[in-house]
Amino acid sequence: MEAAASNAPAEVLLQARAVTKRFGGVAALQGVDLDIRKGEILGVIGPNGAGKTTFVNCISGLDRPTSGTILFKGREITKMPSYAIGRLGLARTFQVVKPLRQLNVIDNVAIGAMFGAGGKRRTTGQARERAEQVLEQLGLKHRREHLAADLTLPDLKRLELAKALAMDPELLFLDEVMAGLNPTEVERAMQMIEAINRAGVTLFVIEHVMKAIMGISDRIVVLHFGKKIAEGDPGQVIENPQVIEAYLGERFAKRAKSALHKK
Amino acid sequence: MPEQRPTLRQWIGLTVTGLVLIGMLILPGYQSPYDLLTYTRFLVLALMAQGWNLIGGFTGYAAFGNVGFFGVGAYTTGLLMLSKWHVPFFPALFSGAVLAGLIAVLIGLPVLRLKGHYFAIATLGVAEAFRQIADTWDSVTQGSTGIDLPVRTDGEFFYYSALAFVVLGILVTIALKRSKIGYAWVAIRGDQEAAKMLGINTTAMKVLAFAFSAVFAAIAGGLTAYQNIHVTPGDFFQLEYTLQMIIATIIGGTGTILGPVLGAGVYQLLSTYVWTRFLELHPTVLGFIIIVFIIFLPRGLMPVLTGSIDVLRGRRRFRWQALLANVRAHRVT
Repeated sequence: MEAAASNAPAEVLLQARAVTKRFGGVAALQGVDLDIRKGEILGVIGPNGAGKTTFVNCISGLDRPTSGTILFKGREITKMPSYAIGRLGLARTFQVVKPLRQLNVIDNVAIGAMFGAGGKRRTTGQARERAEQVLEQLGLKHRREHLAADLTLPDLKRLELAKALAMDPELLFLDEVMAGLNPTEVERAMQMIEAINRAGVTLFVIEHVMKAIMGISDRIVVLHFGKKIAEGDPGQVIENPQVIEAYLGERFAKRAKSALHKK
Repeated sequence: MPEQRPTLRQWIGLTVTGLVLIGMLILPGYQSPYDLLTYTRFLVLALMAQGWNLIGGFTGYAAFGNVGFFGVGAYTTGLLMLSKWHVPFFPALFSGAVLAGLIAVLIGLPVLRLKGHYFAIATLGVAEAFRQIADTWDSVTQGSTGIDLPVRTDGEFFYYSALAFVVLGILVTIALKRSKIGYAWVAIRGDQEAAKMLGINTTAMKVLAFAFSAVFAAIAGGLTAYQNIHVTPGDFFQLEYTLQMIIATIIGGTGTILGPVLGAGVYQLLSTYVWTRFLELHPTVLGFIIIVFIIFLPRGLMPVLTGSIDVLRGRRRFRWQALLANVRAHRVT
């Protein structure tokens, strides 16, 4: 986090301009502008249906934006297929986890290491070695031979993270990796995320767990009905009246603020 | 050492496969020509099943049109041998395989965008379209009359050729399974969106699997054409061939290396046995046995075999419940 603060104005890693996505008559995203700066942890909050996941889908190539442009490392990726975006150094997790259920944990992670940004230079054997490192890092090593289908939810969330991390991304999108975890597990997940960031990965984190998102984010963006209604450092965003009305509520805002002070 | 267990399994697999292979190499000396024909049928079915396993097993796309490529292989081999160049058998066979592979790429690009049942139905349609083409393109295929290939009655030639291709097929499957291609295929089977996000060009990889499966089917088709001499649309574009290769793969174990070969053997044995015992009820009895297999062993015989190696070594206990767990896992609720 210090790194992000010290070298301001930081380089922009991803630039989204006027991104709009309509499903039939419903606008899930309406002209969202967003910059993700190299090295930061950008937190994204907003009520259900605010367009957070749709935004990630548009950037990662699973959905095509109806209009708007997205630049990653200065290259336009708006119409690129997902796999090409992944190889450029952008990885994501899925809110509803998508493990390769019939494979064991090590194979799941090795596949990320094989085809991601670092995949070209690795043989399958080297990809497995990389996968071992990631499992070690995320504390999943004791599950390496287990089938993904047999994992518990916290382990599945970690596997989701491990697959993405094994791709050696520069920019990683985390879509509610803490949902469904208990407080101790949330604490561990926060440490894990901060460690990943310290290792040089820029993070875009969608989360409903306020304590976590306020604790780890360098900046916060608030989405509401497909529009960006606020952006800034966590302290500012929490006091923004529009955000309190749309998402936090008075009581929650106070609680979130206290979480921030503890940090 | 975590790697130890698979290595020992591989040794056992290798030894058993080697013994079976030696047995099969000396087999023709002890068999009547009729029995040899049955063994050749088994090998040809194994070859088709190996091909189907790549798209249907590893990649998880239920292709129902592979008999189309079987027919393409048969006709291309036959027509090249009958052409004014009198192409020898093996070059003709390989040309048929290459052509089937190319056709699979062209068809695969649009058809592999479909998922699940839609893909199955589309491939079914493609195979039917091939039959119609063979049936109506009189100037080339002589329509429903069919073509007659040069006669070769030497049963051992077909037996050994088929055996060589099956062994080659096993080696190709091993190489593919260990390569990035194999990993990409199983990732697609697991979750296509996840596979895409992991950096896998899913379209290219699916088309590749489809093309490989077509090449296997076409070689089987060319061999069968040369052995049967007479090639007609009705005989070579039969849905039954597609079903046989699927059933053989499922019996043996989808997505495994030896499963399709094992399954083809079991299918051929069952079919021959049932045929001699229940002449009239043959399809019914066979169908019943297949249903029992799918209910109790949906993952096929290979996991049972590898599992029993573990049981024999005391690494795992034998449990009847495992069979019931299979039933539960595949029950629609």
